Amino acid sequence: MTNIRRHERTLLLIAGVIMLNGILAVSLTLGAVDYGIIGITCGLITSFLFVNIVLHKTGHAGDPLLLPLAALLAGIGLTTILRLRPNLFLLQVMWIGIGLICFLITAFMARRLEQIAKFKYVCGFIGVGLLLIAILFGVDIGGHKSWVILGPIRFQPSEFAKVFIVLFLAAYLSERRELLTLATRHYGPLVLPHPRFIAPLIAVWSMAMMMFILQRDMGAALLYFGIAIIMTYMVSGRLSYVIIGVVLFLIGSVVCYKLYSHIQTRVDIWLNPWVDPNGEAYQIVQSLFAFGSGGILGSGLTYGFPNMIPEVHTDFIFAAIGEEMGLMGAGAVIIIYIIMVYRIFSVALLSTMSFSMLVAGGLSASMALQIFLIIGGVTKFFPLTGITLPFISYGGSSIVANFILLGMLFAISEVRSDDAK
Amino acid sequence: MRNDMSDIARNIRKVAFFLLGLLVMLFIYLSYIQVVESDFLVSHPLNRRNAEATRHVINGMIVDKNGEKLAYSEKSGDGFNRQYPYASITANVVGYDSFKYGKTGIESTFNNYLTGMNNELRHLGAISHLWSNQPGNNVLLTLDAKLQEVAYKELGEHRGAIVVMVPRTGAILAMVSKPSFNPNTLDQQWESISTATNSPLLNRAVQGLYPPGSIIKVMMADAALTEKIVDLKTTINCEGSLKVPPDYVLEESGHKAHGNVNLEEALAVSCNVTFGTLALKLGDKKMAKTFDRYGFKLPIGSEFQEVESHLPDFNSLGNGDLAQVGIGQGSLLITPLRMAMLASVFANKGKIMKPYIVNKITDSDGNVIKEFMPEEWRTPTSPQLADTIKEMMVTVVNDGTGNAAHLSGIQVAGKTGTAENAQGASHAWFIGFAPADNPEVVIAVIVENAGSGGSIAAPIAGRILAQALH
Repeated sequence: MTNIRRHERTLLLIAGVIMLNGILAVSLTLGAVDYGIIGITCGLITSFLFVNIVLHKTGHAGDPLLLPLAALLAGIGLTTILRLRPNLFLLQVMWIGIGLICFLITAFMARRLEQIAKFKYVCGFIGVGLLLIAILFGVDIGGHKSWVILGPIRFQPSEFAKVFIVLFLAAYLSERRELLTLATRHYGPLVLPHPRFIAPLIAVWSMAMMMFILQRDMGAALLYFGIAIIMTYMVSGRLSYVIIGVVLFLIGSVVCYKLYSHIQTRVDIWLNPWVDPNGEAYQIVQSLFAFGSGGILGSGLTYGFPNMIPEVHTDFIFAAIGEEMGLMGAGAVIIIYIIMVYRIFSVALLSTMSFSMLVAGGLSASMALQIFLIIGGVTKFFPLTGITLPFISYGGSSIVANFILLGMLFAISEVRSDDAK
Repeated sequence: MRNDMSDIARNIRKVAFFLLGLLVMLFIYLSYIQVVESDFLVSHPLNRRNAEATRHVINGMIVDKNGEKLAYSEKSGDGFNRQYPYASITANVVGYDSFKYGKTGIESTFNNYLTGMNNELRHLGAISHLWSNQPGNNVLLTLDAKLQEVAYKELGEHRGAIVVMVPRTGAILAMVSKPSFNPNTLDQQWESISTATNSPLLNRAVQGLYPPGSIIKVMMADAALTEKIVDLKTTINCEGSLKVPPDYVLEESGHKAHGNVNLEEALAVSCNVTFGTLALKLGDKKMAKTFDRYGFKLPIGSEFQEVESHLPDFNSLGNGDLAQVGIGQGSLLITPLRMAMLASVFANKGKIMKPYIVNKITDSDGNVIKEFMPEEWRTPTSPQLADTIKEMMVTVVNDGTGNAAHLSGIQVAGKTGTAENAQGASHAWFIGFAPADNPEVVIAVIVENAGSGGSIAAPIAGRILAQALH
């Protein structure tokens, strides 16, 4: 166990060196080195090491790879944000610091995950409530109508709702597993469960559709809908549910496409952005130029022109990485995500309880899906959806929510270690 | 319960593989964009990155053969301003460099060198910045700015073009196109310049397509001798017009009957009947072969942004049209540069050198990084025949239509042309070279809609040749 934490410390130090190196490179090219920024970065690295020491002292046996991977991504994100929006650098450091505290709290709280299962409906209500708040009181900031303003605080509830929805679905589905798998009705070639048992699926589907239509938030809609379908499949193993889900979503999408012009333009610019490169497709075309101009080795930090892309520091941060660090940098980011996704799915697979297994599986799937949707979106592999790149994009809600998600997986991974002993 | 768990684990594993597969696909797709599509995206006209990047690089200078600056960058605010000391005189050949409206001429074709973007090191990503902040490279032309200025002024208020070239090497000494524009104030005057009906942005020397008129007869004379249609003694009787069956009549200018003339006399008086007859005797196949030999359909490289000559379709040409091509009319359209190249055949013992205008490229410290050498391009005829035609061209200037190009003390050889066209008065042409016994410069002059070649173009050519040999 001590050994695990020592490995984690070594890996954190490596991630810290990479983070410091990036920050130094950017400050050097900007002219004078700002010692304040270097000091703050060192402080953040120390905070990561502090978390490691706390975990060590308390004998936590969570997966030693998760935190260093998050630190590595956060370092790449901070470097890019310092280059793109120096005035947001301090705030992002603060968000990562708060994220770390939340990670630590979750890492210990989520050890009693089974008890959370008892409050599944509370989780469900919180999750749905957060989404409803966003739908009803959402304010448009930077092109997303998903912000909620509470006095001095503004946040994106949909980032947090994901954890609660996964907890609720995991509890609900693992309890009704038998029914979902066995109590089926045959409609011709299709095998359907009793309508009662797919209620949560339909609830999440309609919620996703509401987000789609009211908030114009295609990313969040796809994400939540994907999570619901994937988790239902994990429990039942029935592809027919997936097919029904996808068909339902497609029907909804086609109806939306016919009814709403903004969804039409989204799809049209994905199919052919060169028709209107200076209008609706401006962002995606600029993003493609950024990737192309970056080439294999990139232009070098601060030598590119990523600021030609509107909103580059949030949704399009990956394009900035692709331009200035080239395929080497952007490809490395994808590989880091692949390692992370692989690792968190392993947490799920080695879990000993079906509930925690489903929670870990659901959280992993949501992370993987989110990465795919946003990277696929900015590279025009998939229609563009406005969601953040985990641990890299600027934004408090996104950073904190992802650290909570990671803390939960970290806690679940410990069970596996106990079991393995 | 254990069994349930393994079921769920199996499903989760499938989901994991599916999602990891999607991420791997993204990686492959990203590699495709950044490696395969990269060149397309970098050079896309809407991608402003290259223009932005070079805005902060001091573009190299463009200088003439004597080191005279034709274009250089001057610091202004946070960027650089391009200055053109010779303004409209060199505008069409040097081109312009506007952040708003792009680049043309040498500014465009040698953009990579001028901005330093030719540097292979830039593919090294961040490492390349160790060598960055160097000014771009300088482009040294073969152009002679003084001669260019004289030629520009000689055209006066006329539209037209002048090309002066060294026949032995193909080096361009002057390339004038009129009307021109002032590249120093292009951004302010873009609206009027770009919409003007007399097309000041067109480099007429390489992009203007004109009927050659009688100057093509030097090639016809060579073709007739090469194909042995006539010899030097053969005479043709000119009665002032040539009837071409079934119903076409080729008129002599002013219906003048030249009587019995041999080839040399026919060229001296520019006899349409003789050359119409020769074209008919050569026939479509040999005519096509002749144009082919002279390389009219062969491009001369991207350096000049040249427009391709328009040749008639010889396979479907009627006799009347064939006779017209023999005197440089009909659907035959060529550029002034091609006519300077035609004259150079007889100045250079039957050889055409590839025309070039960039002599050297040097880096900001003056080290030569690229040098352009004279290159043989075509050999349309033999040295003997070339000399024979040259003698005839001397006669044209001494005793024929080109008399106005005569210079005291220097023997000029040449040929005039008066090309009828649909736009109005005839275009005045003159091609020639001097000194005839050892040609140092060859010239092509066209003055649009100005009248006869002998009275308008020949004197201009004479004065420019005198200046060039001065």
